[in-house]
Amino acid sequence: MSASTPQDTATANVEFNQLGKPLTRTDAAGKVFGTTPFAGDYAMPQMLHLQVVRSTVASAKLLKLNTEKARALDGVVEILTADDLPNPSATPHFHEAYGEKRPMTDPPLLVSDRIRFFGEPLAVIAAETSEIAAQACALVEAEYEPVQGVYDPQEALQPGAPIVHGEDNIMVERKIRKGDVAAGFEDADLIVENTYRTPFQEHAFLEPEVGLAWVDETGVINIRTCAQDIEHFRMIADVLDLPHNRVRIRGAFVGGGFGGKEECAREIYMALMALKTGRPVRLEYSREDSFVGHGKRHPMILRYKTGVTKDGKISALDVDILADSGAYLYLSANVLLYAAVAAPGPYKVDNLKVCARAVATNNMYTSAFRGYGAMQACAAYEQQMDEVAKAVGKDPIAFRQQNYLKTGDPIATGFVPPGAIWTDQCVDRAWAALGPRVEPVEPHIKTGRGVAAYQQSYGKVSFLGDTSEAWVGVEFDGSVVVRSGVADIGGGQVSSLAQIAAEVLGVGLDDVTIYKTDSALTPLAGRTAATRTLSMTGNATKKASEAIRSRLLGRAAIEFGVKPSEVLLSKGRVLVGNAPEKSMRLGDLARLCHIDGIQASELAMHCATHADLLDSETGQGQAHPDYTYGAHAIEVSVDTETGEVRILKSIGAHDVGQCINRAAVEDQIEGGAQNGQGYALSEEMLYNEGKLMTPSLSEYLMPTSMDMTEVESIILESRSGVGPFGAKGIGEPAISAVAPAIANAITDAIGVRIFELPLTPERIVNALMDQES
Amino acid sequence: MSCAYDLKVPISLQNALDLLSDAQSMPLAGGTNLLVEIRSGKERPQRLVALDRIEGLAGIDINSETITIGARATVGDLLRSTELAKAAPSLVKAAGVFAGQMVRNAGTIGGNIACASPAADLVPPLMSLDAQVTLQSSSGSRVVALDEYYQGYKQDVRRPDELVTQISMPRLPDQTHNRFYKLARRRGDAITVVGLAVTLTVSDGVCRKARIAMGAVAPCVIRARNAEALLEGNVFDAAMIETAAAQAAAECAPIDDVRASAQYRRHCVRKLTRRLVAEAWNDLEAKVEADV
Repeated sequence: MSASTPQDTATANVEFNQLGKPLTRTDAAGKVFGTTPFAGDYAMPQMLHLQVVRSTVASAKLLKLNTEKARALDGVVEILTADDLPNPSATPHFHEAYGEKRPMTDPPLLVSDRIRFFGEPLAVIAAETSEIAAQACALVEAEYEPVQGVYDPQEALQPGAPIVHGEDNIMVERKIRKGDVAAGFEDADLIVENTYRTPFQEHAFLEPEVGLAWVDETGVINIRTCAQDIEHFRMIADVLDLPHNRVRIRGAFVGGGFGGKEECAREIYMALMALKTGRPVRLEYSREDSFVGHGKRHPMILRYKTGVTKDGKISALDVDILADSGAYLYLSANVLLYAAVAAPGPYKVDNLKVCARAVATNNMYTSAFRGYGAMQACAAYEQQMDEVAKAVGKDPIAFRQQNYLKTGDPIATGFVPPGAIWTDQCVDRAWAALGPRVEPVEPHIKTGRGVAAYQQSYGKVSFLGDTSEAWVGVEFDGSVVVRSGVADIGGGQVSSLAQIAAEVLGVGLDDVTIYKTDSALTPLAGRTAATRTLSMTGNATKKASEAIRSRLLGRAAIEFGVKPSEVLLSKGRVLVGNAPEKSMRLGDLARLCHIDGIQASELAMHCATHADLLDSETGQGQAHPDYTYGAHAIEVSVDTETGEVRILKSIGAHDVGQCINRAAVEDQIEGGAQNGQGYALSEEMLYNEGKLMTPSLSEYLMPTSMDMTEVESIILESRSGVGPFGAKGIGEPAISAVAPAIANAITDAIGVRIFELPLTPERIVNALMDQES
Repeated sequence: MSCAYDLKVPISLQNALDLLSDAQSMPLAGGTNLLVEIRSGKERPQRLVALDRIEGLAGIDINSETITIGARATVGDLLRSTELAKAAPSLVKAAGVFAGQMVRNAGTIGGNIACASPAADLVPPLMSLDAQVTLQSSSGSRVVALDEYYQGYKQDVRRPDELVTQISMPRLPDQTHNRFYKLARRRGDAITVVGLAVTLTVSDGVCRKARIAMGAVAPCVIRARNAEALLEGNVFDAAMIETAAAQAAAECAPIDDVRASAQYRRHCVRKLTRRLVAEAWNDLEAKVEADV
């Protein structure tokens, strides 16, 4: 790290053929013209239609589930209940964390006795048409005995509160201890303590869950599904008590994931039903099903106590995070790990104490969502940074500058990220891009601006281990094939891999064809989650491409009588300088290799650095491979009479390490700005005793194009990441800082902070009234 | 979740009205409300009578005295009429912030009135413009003032065999200002939290006529008649506008729902009434000065 820090090398004169340019993604045309098949477009003869029967109460004993009337309905073929499961303790939960209380907290596949949340699956119906399945659904009679539920995480911790599972409601506890917090607070001239609240959030992908399953002529269960993870075939096989190689998942382009398509209960239902009926089965969620059918973003209550010196140095930080895990654990253990690791933000805090807990309630369960706990922490720490700056009379940016982590500094867990930390450049660039302030004309309008910085990991939790594979081959005409089990969830994952292969092999993006997302036929690439796909599968693709390139150059060097280092691959040709006689088509070289038995293809695996578990008491160790840093700046106008907020400027500045496709990076930043804006201002999942009161897109209000301003993307490239060509991840980082930047801008406009997201017009009006009185 | 129904597609109004005389029938115009209600199981009609093949139900006609709009004119049709934008600015403003583009393409003015939602965006402007609704059935027709059309939450005077066929309103006199404001939780595709339409006519500095119509703050769209009375016959000043705004807030009867609380709605009625009346007044004053 010493002599050649990433900053030093960042401006190196690197020339790429196409990397970093704003190319049209390989999947764009099919999606624009509507020719790309999604999972829901597949159908088979004799196909049955499934419907999930769900509980209509949040907390009860299931006394009886009467399916007779539903079975009697003409066209109903099969109904599965808990009694029909091959393995009654089967769970759609994948264990991949430590510190879980298992198996008590595992969700059942279908409820047999105890209902813990509204909409919990009770039965699955297969019928000749989806209409009949829906009718049958209404004919299933459930007898409940009400059980007192608990719907507030703070209440769930009180003595005497109803217990959702086992002995108490604490599902997970994560700790970080660093330095001497008590001494740090003693050194402080000022202590600022605030509590921030963040809400549930729904992924609301364009494509609700859908899939098709059938048993093929060899007895293998095939599942065509929209999923972020096709490697759930293992879990599905375990539930069915089949060998892993008897279940095959074939993906399709996915219409959005955001963490909401990592679960696999619906694939298990399809597999069970296909086996039981011997017919293809299709399960499609309506938007309403989707709202109750997958876990949400964890709402959190985050108490921040910051000690600061007069000159603006953070001397101690004590953070307590309480998350609502809902009725089941799902991925809460890891989400809380992310929250704890992120808790101090991109700041140097030598004396740190973090306690992050997830508590069971009878609310909808919570699980993965873009940002994965770290984003909620950012919503709190960046508001707190503004509050502390104000308390010590400092400019918010100047105060941040004094406390930024710098490249080479250890983060909260003591780990030194291998990549650069360019928070300062990102904040400065985003802030400067706001330009002159918009001065309001009308007396009831006020404007304000805010900024927020963040630290967000990319890559899976290091103690889990992570590998990804890709196969690359050059054809005799110079075209290139890439095979990878990667799931493209709309971020351009597949196109980026094609671009990496094209860059290394000196061909155009159009010359590459990708075969993707088949757990049987394409090399396994892992889940498209945790902002890991580019760094993991991108590296695997690069590694495979480079191995081929090396062999090709070796063979060409012999052909032309030069050294391999003198051979170039460019635009589908093999060249040595400008010598016309020392030149051939790439395909001809591949053919030469074939004749000589030199392999013009390669299967490569990339393996992330594995680390031990974090220390359970101090949280010290390596949590992730590396982190992305950046900032978002916002200017708002606020109608002080109605509380309406308008986003006037929205600017994301992120160090992405190295752009693969600039247009795709901008897409992520713009999408993150929209997703974060909804979280900050308008998206609300209102629950009443566990029942969702806003279960449609007319009540759950995501920003429309009318609500968005043009988002400006500022892309910095430190070329310091652990991804291919020094790339970092941007999928999750793009959303991290948006909400706190908006909150800070609104506070700047109206002069009072609202400590609970979303910042609805009503909350703003109430805050202004409180301020007056 | 879905239901089977018989679909009739008459090509004449008479034919449609005959079909609607059967109690099991419901008229289907743009379907942007009805089809959603059918999907959710709130409506279970046995027969739908589609109106889209009937000629002459969608025209916008503006003469020196009257604006007449066919009930099947879509919200998009209203937006495309430059004449209407001048003659009934609040209505076209409301059309512009009405739902989203796809709904504007299909949803109709007659449907918006007949669905009787308190949050129907075209109704406050129409009420502030003294609109009248023509109801036709196979046995005859009648004209009802829009401010007497609603009787409660999703209740109106229309009999099941009647169809809203036309909406008409007098042309606005000179020195009249007509505004609409939609307060919602987002800018596009949103259900209104408070919809407020104001029409003021002033001559010789005195308010000759005032109409304040309020949406989404009562079981149905209502007029703030007491607030109107405070303004009419008076000379505007800030205190009077404030009093009228407070009166409008007192006249509404909002509820708490997932979008907003009753208290917030009432607060906004007051602020927006004051704002719209003051803006209208300032605008009219400016006009007078310009004329001088």
